[in-house]
Amino acid sequence: MPDSIKLSELVNEIDEAIKNRFAGRTFLIKAEITDVKKQPDKRWCFLKFIEKEGILITTEIKGVFWANTYHNVERFEKETQQTFASGLEITCRVRVRFHKRYGIDLEVLEIDYAYAIGKLELERKQTLERLVKENSTIKLLPNETYTTKNNRTELAMVFQTIALITAPNSDGQRDFNKVIDKNKYGYAFSVTPFLTTIQGDNASQLILKQLKLIETSKENFDLVVIVRGGGSDIDFKSFNDYELAKAVAMFPTPILTGIGHDRNTSIVDLMGRQHKTPTEVATFIIDNNMNFEAEIEDLKERFFQRVDELLDDAKDELASIKQRIKNLHPTTILKKGFAIIKLNNKIVTDTKAIKVNSELQTIMQSETMNSTVTKKIKNEKGIDI
Amino acid sequence: MKKELTFDKVFNDLTELVEEIEDDEIKVDTLAEKVKQANELIKFCETKLRTIKTETTKLRGEK
Repeated sequence: MPDSIKLSELVNEIDEAIKNRFAGRTFLIKAEITDVKKQPDKRWCFLKFIEKEGILITTEIKGVFWANTYHNVERFEKETQQTFASGLEITCRVRVRFHKRYGIDLEVLEIDYAYAIGKLELERKQTLERLVKENSTIKLLPNETYTTKNNRTELAMVFQTIALITAPNSDGQRDFNKVIDKNKYGYAFSVTPFLTTIQGDNASQLILKQLKLIETSKENFDLVVIVRGGGSDIDFKSFNDYELAKAVAMFPTPILTGIGHDRNTSIVDLMGRQHKTPTEVATFIIDNNMNFEAEIEDLKERFFQRVDELLDDAKDELASIKQRIKNLHPTTILKKGFAIIKLNNKIVTDTKAIKVNSELQTIMQSETMNSTVTKKIKNEKGIDI
Repeated sequence: MKKELTFDKVFNDLTELVEEIEDDEIKVDTLAEKVKQANELIKFCETKLRTIKTETTKLRGEK
């Protein structure tokens, strides 16, 4: 038996060989990642790069982000709005490292975001195209927005009953309810929560399940609202899912989304009615009711203004009738120089009753004169006053 | 049985009332009745916007 060598001697040689071959070199690779373990407190991330043929993994090697490159993971999540997690395909620059105890791995130096974003955008584009192609009620408008059965459905004049799809105890739910509960107009709402996971691998299926549940009692709701807390920039994937987007597009009750993101619009947003945040959805709901009440207030004003007008008209008419009556009153007439003739204390309307020698009373405004008729002459040519 | 009022119906009825009294042919002696109707509709809106029938709904989201 030849002399054995120590383990360290062999490993040192491996180390040497790897150094000779790989020192100072970096490689751009494209691979699927799996077993992603993030340690945000230490700013490390461990993972495995794999390559498959069908479902069989043919190549596998450990990978790592250390504190000095961990920002890549954070930036990836921010840029692509999805969690850096198993199942993703990424393009990244790596260097080969060997550790005498922990073995060989690839240290990730940087991620190609453009590739990641490009890939996501392509997927998104394909999903949108498929939605339009396979569903005749979904149409692309020239301004890059979409019209669907759902967002064409007319909104109620007043919203009172709301089905709220949200994660339990989430910021989104809290923000939404805060605005609804504390509205200064005192409007009443009934908000029924439909709790589900909003993020993660099967979130879209869980949201879909809640939608189906709501549909079984759709007459109970004026609106469906889907909210997600602000700040959680990442994991947008569930809202770009084909089946969920289709269900939203076809849903009979109007759906408002407030999925809390500024930079991107998810496909679900495009199929329903998008608002940026849960707070904005709630504000929209309250403003809608306020606008309704303002319209009622306008009608009320118009109505009572007209009532006043009509009553004023009637008063004016009454006053004018009174004036006419007053104008016809004998004292008004006497003031103008006319006289009343009385014979035997009766007003004379027909001169036939008056004979020569009749004793007449001529009543004028200030005095009454007694006289005797001496002559009667017919006014053949009318009266000459 | 009296049909339950909806916001849509109230809005339409109130609009109709306004249009009726804005018509020049309106007779003042029908005004009292119309004012009564309008007041009822307005009151309904103001009240219903701020109250909600609490129906115990069996529906609750699953966690």
